[in-house]
Amino acid sequence: MSDLPTTLAVTLLLLAPLVAGGLSLLLTSSRWLHVTNLTSIGTLVAAEVMIARAVLEQGSLTAFGEIVYIDALSSVILFIIGTVGLACSLYMRSYMDEQVARGVIAPKRLNLFFFLFHMFLLTMVVATVANSLGVQWVAIEATTLTTTFLIAFWRRRESLEAGWKYLILCSVGISLALFGVVLMYYSSLRVLGDVSSALNITQLQQVASQLDPHILKLAFVFLFVGYGTKVGLVPMHSWLPDAYTEAPAPVAAMLAGVLETVAVYAILRCRGIVDQAVPPDFTGGLLAIFGLVSFALAAFFILLQHNYKRLFAYSSIEHMGLAMVGFGVGGPIGNFGGLFHLVNHALAKSLAFFAAGNIHRRFKTVEIDEVRGLTTVLPLSALALLIAGLALAALPPFALFASEMQILTALGSSGLPGEWTQPGTRFPIVVLLFCSLVAFGGLLYRITGMVWGVAPADIVSGEQWSVGHVPIILLGAVLVGFCWALPPPLQQLFEAAATLLVNR
Amino acid sequence: MPLMTPSIGSQLVDLGSALLLLTCFAIVAQRRLSACVDLFALQSVFLALTATLVAFLTGIHHIYIAAALTIVIKAIVIPRILKKVIERLNVSRELVMHINVPASLLICGVLVMIAFLITQPIISFGHLLTRDSLAIALAIVLIGFFTMIARQKAVTQMIAFLVMENGLFLGAIAATYGMPLVVELGVFFDVLVAALIAGIYTNRLQDAFDSVDTAHLSELKE
Repeated sequence: MSDLPTTLAVTLLLLAPLVAGGLSLLLTSSRWLHVTNLTSIGTLVAAEVMIARAVLEQGSLTAFGEIVYIDALSSVILFIIGTVGLACSLYMRSYMDEQVARGVIAPKRLNLFFFLFHMFLLTMVVATVANSLGVQWVAIEATTLTTTFLIAFWRRRESLEAGWKYLILCSVGISLALFGVVLMYYSSLRVLGDVSSALNITQLQQVASQLDPHILKLAFVFLFVGYGTKVGLVPMHSWLPDAYTEAPAPVAAMLAGVLETVAVYAILRCRGIVDQAVPPDFTGGLLAIFGLVSFALAAFFILLQHNYKRLFAYSSIEHMGLAMVGFGVGGPIGNFGGLFHLVNHALAKSLAFFAAGNIHRRFKTVEIDEVRGLTTVLPLSALALLIAGLALAALPPFALFASEMQILTALGSSGLPGEWTQPGTRFPIVVLLFCSLVAFGGLLYRITGMVWGVAPADIVSGEQWSVGHVPIILLGAVLVGFCWALPPPLQQLFEAAATLLVNR
Repeated sequence: MPLMTPSIGSQLVDLGSALLLLTCFAIVAQRRLSACVDLFALQSVFLALTATLVAFLTGIHHIYIAAALTIVIKAIVIPRILKKVIERLNVSRELVMHINVPASLLICGVLVMIAFLITQPIISFGHLLTRDSLAIALAIVLIGFFTMIARQKAVTQMIAFLVMENGLFLGAIAATYGMPLVVELGVFFDVLVAALIAGIYTNRLQDAFDSVDTAHLSELKE
């Protein structure tokens, strides 16, 4: 299973952020920090491509004596980490330099930022490739610890508040997930005997059907609540809007695009095991109901927002809820739609936060009412904001439209799982359609207001081309492209991952 | 060891777990921040003793390592960090409480009952030795969770988080005689870093707000 090229790729995958993080602490010049960053993320992406190819050929792979386990599902998550990470790194090239030039960040603190950024990447990669559910938990808790200072990086009162709230809420949530991991171990030890590999996904998958359903149900509830806090599902979402508003734009993009996805991945992993012993309606029902509630509430909160970063934060909750509905309903279409939605949301949300970052730097405000006439002030960012807004409102020709349609189709054809509703009830799909209409209206109303109109007189007009615009253009193109055609290797990867998720 | 028959052993383990639960109640009832830290340190000592006892009775060696780490990190290092933080603060007591002490204790009592209720169906699968500790562990986790909501000071919230961790650790010992060693080490590392970060935060919050009362953290609202 573990041949030399894949071992090499996995080593590179883990070493790239680790080495870059260490180097960042030693380097002082901004130029070299960016070079290190881009080299590391480039290596990461290259390693991911190698791994994805191996996964497509072999189905799954393990490395370092079963410490690392990668299958199609983890490859999809790695793909998201790599793509968004690369986009953020390119964007940071112009964003961070401008912040240093403006004196917002002391040049000395720049290497701290990069160190934390790399550690953040590393913990997410570890959480994705770890074979042991315990190690996965440790890595996800570590993501909380690495990001809390990134969120509070501006050291304003509000950012400290947001960082503290994030640290406390997520740590508490994650602690509950640890109880779930303990229970999982409890159930597997009874079957496997006293072995240290009893938390490994590879082992658990083999014996999953013999595990005790009572323990697994309880374990899944704890795991779901715990990791759900990190996903930002209602009612555990209250840290999320604050954190996204206060975090520097590239960090917000990483939080929204990648961190949430990794937490969803952790839930899906556990679900794959629990479903084999417990009727799948149990986990599916939990996912779908929490997803639906998150979607509906977030849609209405979108209407109330006066701050464009909060607007995008609530839109994150909404889309994560929708993806959860997809996974909860299940079946080939629901799971594929859910995964595809995760990918598209990550891309669209990074684009949205990049645009928001540009706007914030120019207008120095996050209030929607004070931002007017973006078409004249920042034409490129206005276009990016509009594309991100239309995509997040799930309009064609953007990829989120395709994935949202898939999820709706799945819900429409099989209904909510479990005994929540009678088979054939139209109620959930009506709720979903109505709420997406609400979110659509809210997003477009706010965004068109910002894009057009007369710019305030004291704002300088004109936008200079910079490296930061490269990821913006690429993301926009990909968002449109994915709606029409997925590149065949990606399509195969997503399909393989969706097949893994379909209950056997 | 004629004295250490399984039933006496399991009673001793139960005693240790009960002492942990008792310190939980004491923390909930305590208003002085430094006393809370002391109680947390005491709880960690009880935890380490219980873990050592289980390690001795079962002969599983890696629990000794975990017990030693508990003493070093949770009974010595983290309380020191917290004490340092408290020294810098201008308030040493929890002044305003969302829920007063008698009501809190009552709620904690209910939480203990809930914990026993939840774990009832699964508890019979466990090891004979530590069977009842699983319910107590869940009770401690729930009480920590509740304390987090009910108290306002950043330091108290941190202690509540650590109490939750203690409960989880007891749960791991009770249910499975400890997690795999690498996971346990990772958890200890995370807890230590979390405590350090919280310490740094409290300092910064103190500088920025002149208070670590999280009620002042209300600038971010809908």
